[in-house]
Amino acid sequence: MKSISELCVNVEPLNPHFKIAEVGDIFLDKSYDRLLSLPIVSDGQPVGSISRNQVQQIFMTRFGRELYGNKPIREIMNTAPLIVSIDQPVEEASQYITRNISFPITEDFIVTSEEGYHGVGSVIDLIRALENRLFAQNHSLAQAFEKLKASQAQLIQSEKMASLGQMVAGVAHEINTPLGYVKSNLEIARDAYLKLEELTAGYDMLLSMIQSPDTDEGVLNEHLADLMGLRREINELFSREDMAGLFSDSLYGIQQISEIVVSLKDFSRLDRAAVDEVDINHCIESALRIGHNVIKHKAEVVREFGVLPKVRCSPSQINQVFLNLLTNAAHAIEDFGRITVKTLADERFVHAIVQDNGKGIPEENLKKIYDPFFTTKPVGQGTGLGLSIVYGIIKDHKGHIRVKSEVGKGTAFCVSLPISPTLN
Amino acid sequence: MNPSIQAPNPAPTDAAVAKPTLLFVDDEERILRSLRMLFAANYRVLVTTDGNEALEILKREKVHALISDQRMPLMAGVDLLRQAREIAPDTMRLLLTGYSDIEAIVGSINDGEVFRYINKPWNADDIRAIIGEATEIALRLEQSASPAHAQPAADESMGVLLIDDSWETASELTALIKESLPANFSLEWATNLGAAMAVLEEKNISVVVSEVRVGNEDMTPFLKTLKRFKPHIVTIVLTSHWDTGELVGLINQGQVHRVLPKPMRKVITLRGIQSGIDRSREIQSRPEIALRHKVEAPKQEVDPGLLGRIRGLFQRAGKPLGNPANS
Repeated sequence: MKSISELCVNVEPLNPHFKIAEVGDIFLDKSYDRLLSLPIVSDGQPVGSISRNQVQQIFMTRFGRELYGNKPIREIMNTAPLIVSIDQPVEEASQYITRNISFPITEDFIVTSEEGYHGVGSVIDLIRALENRLFAQNHSLAQAFEKLKASQAQLIQSEKMASLGQMVAGVAHEINTPLGYVKSNLEIARDAYLKLEELTAGYDMLLSMIQSPDTDEGVLNEHLADLMGLRREINELFSREDMAGLFSDSLYGIQQISEIVVSLKDFSRLDRAAVDEVDINHCIESALRIGHNVIKHKAEVVREFGVLPKVRCSPSQINQVFLNLLTNAAHAIEDFGRITVKTLADERFVHAIVQDNGKGIPEENLKKIYDPFFTTKPVGQGTGLGLSIVYGIIKDHKGHIRVKSEVGKGTAFCVSLPISPTLN
Repeated sequence: MNPSIQAPNPAPTDAAVAKPTLLFVDDEERILRSLRMLFAANYRVLVTTDGNEALEILKREKVHALISDQRMPLMAGVDLLRQAREIAPDTMRLLLTGYSDIEAIVGSINDGEVFRYINKPWNADDIRAIIGEATEIALRLEQSASPAHAQPAADESMGVLLIDDSWETASELTALIKESLPANFSLEWATNLGAAMAVLEEKNISVVVSEVRVGNEDMTPFLKTLKRFKPHIVTIVLTSHWDTGELVGLINQGQVHRVLPKPMRKVITLRGIQSGIDRSREIQSRPEIALRHKVEAPKQEVDPGLLGRIRGLFQRAGKPLGNPANS
C-alpha cells in the first residue's frame, strides 16, 4: 500500500495574485492533465485551491473570459481546500477526504509537510490505492476464512475422536467385567472337567475290573475307596449348585457382551444406509446403551417415550446428538440424580426432551452454550465443541434445539426434528 | 455377630484356623461367585459388594488378604484400602481391577500401600499364585508377631539418595531436608545410575527418591532390582512422567513406597520421605516386615550387569543375602 508521500506529485503552486486567464492557460499544460485542481500557496503555506471545473465554468459563461479573465484567482478560489499531512496514514487521510469532498469530485488534495506546502495528491490515485488495499485485505480474509474452516473441521474431528475415545474406554470396561468372570468360570469348568475325566477313567477301570473274573477283591476294594475319595473331592470342590451357577453366570456374561456388541453396531450404523427412516426412540435407546457406563454412576434414567412416526434423518448423527446430550446431563449431576427422556410428536415434528436435575446453567452462559469452544469444564476435560456439533447436526436436519435451565434445579434440552425434511 | 452361633465363646475350630481367610470386595456378584469357587477349596472366602461391610468384617475378624475392585458405587477401592490399612494393618491389601486410571493407581500406592495390583480379566493360575503368596506372608507375620525391636539409635546417620538430573529438584529437596529434618539426615545427589551405585556402595542410604527417566535412562529396572535385593531401602518416585503400566510395574515388581508429583510440593514430599524413613527403620528393626513388600519376579530380563552390581553391593556391605524374592 502506498503512503501519502508516494501519492504526492510535485506541482509548482499558483500565487493568489495570478489572473484567472493565466490559470486557464496553465491548466492547458499537458503535464497538469491528470490534475483536477491546482494549489494556491502564499508564503509557503497553502491558502486555497482552484479547480479546472471552476475555470471552465467561467470561460463557458458568455464573455466570461473577458469579464473575469483579469481578476486574481484569490477572488474565486476555494479557501478551504482538502489538506493532508505527508506523514498521515493513508486510511486516516482517505477518511478525511471522503468525509469532506464535494460531489461531483472536482478537486484533488494538497499535501503539506512541516515546512508547509509540499505537493498535490490525486483523489483518483488515492481511491485506486484504497481499492488495491481492500482487494489485498479481502484476499487475506478469504484465506484466513479457509484456514479457519479447515481447522474447525479438524477440531470437530478431534472432538469426535476424543468422545469416541471416552466411549471406547467406557465400553471396554463394560465388556471387561463379564469377560472377567466368564474367563474365570471357564477356567474353573476346565478344572472340573479334568477331575470328572479322571473319575470317568476310574469308573471305566472299575467296570473292567468287575467284568474280569481274575480281579482280586482287595485291589477292587482299594480302587473303590480311591474312587469314592475322588467323588467326594469333586462334590466338595464343584458342587452341583455351584456348577449350575457357574454356567448360568457365564451364559449371562456372554449375553451381556453380545448385547454390548449389538449396541455398538447399532450406534455406529456403519453397515447401514447413511440416511434412513428411523424411530427416534430407538436412537435414544442406542445412545443410552453406549453411554451406560458414564450414566449409571450418576443418574437413574426415566423414559417417557411416546409413539413416534419415523423420521427421515442421518441416524448415526442423531445418535451422536443424544449421546452428547445424555452424557452432558450426567456430567451436570454432582452426586446422583435423575435424567428424564421424554418423546412426543405433532403433525410436523418429533420432539425429544432430555432433562436432568443437575446443577443447571447460569443465565449468562445460556446464550453461549452452542458457541464453538465455549466450555465451563476445566482445561483438558472438554473442548467446548460438543453442543456446537449438536447444533450443527440439528440445523442440517432443519430441526430446532431449545434449552431451559435453572441454576440448582437442572437443565432441559428439547430437540425437534421435522418428520419429512428436505435434507442437504 | 453371627446369630446361628450359640456357644458363649465361639472359638474357631481347627479347620477354620488352618484355612487362611480372604475377603473379596466387588460390585459385581458374578465376579464374587467366580472368585469364591476359585478359592473355596483352600481358603475361607468372605465376599461383599459393599465397602462399608468389608470394613465391619475387618474390625470383627482376622482376614489375611483383602482383594478389592476399584470402581464401586458405594465406596471406591482406594478408599476401602486406605481405611483397611488403619483398621487391619496386617491384612495384605490387593487391588483387582479392570479400570486402570492413573488416579486409582497412584491412590493404591500412596494411600492403599497395596501388595499387588491385579488386572481384570485375571488368569486363574496367576491370581492363585499371587494370593497364595500374600496369605503365606500374612501367616508368617502372624506367627512371628513379636514386639518391635528397639528403634535404631537416634544419632545413627540416615541417608536419602536423590537420583535426578534436574538441578532445580536437587536444590529444592536439599533445602527441604535441611530445614525440616534432623541434622543426622543427609541428602546425596546422583545424576545418573553409575553415580547412584557409587553412593549406595559408600553410604548408608535408607530412602531413594528417584525420577523415572534420568537423562535417557529408564530408572524403573534399577528401582525394581534394588527393592528385590535391598528390601530395607525404601523407594519413592518423584516424577512428572505418569504412565499407568509403568506404575503398576513399580507396585508389583518394585513395591514403590510413594509416587509424588513434580513440580515438587513441599508438604507431601516431606511427609513421603518421613514415612519412607520410618518404614526403612521398621524393616531394619523387624526384618520380617520386609516380607510384606516382597516383589514379584521381573517380567523382563534384568540387565545382568546391573543385577551383579546390586548383588555385589549387598555382599560388600557384609549383610546376609536373605531370601530375595524367589530368585
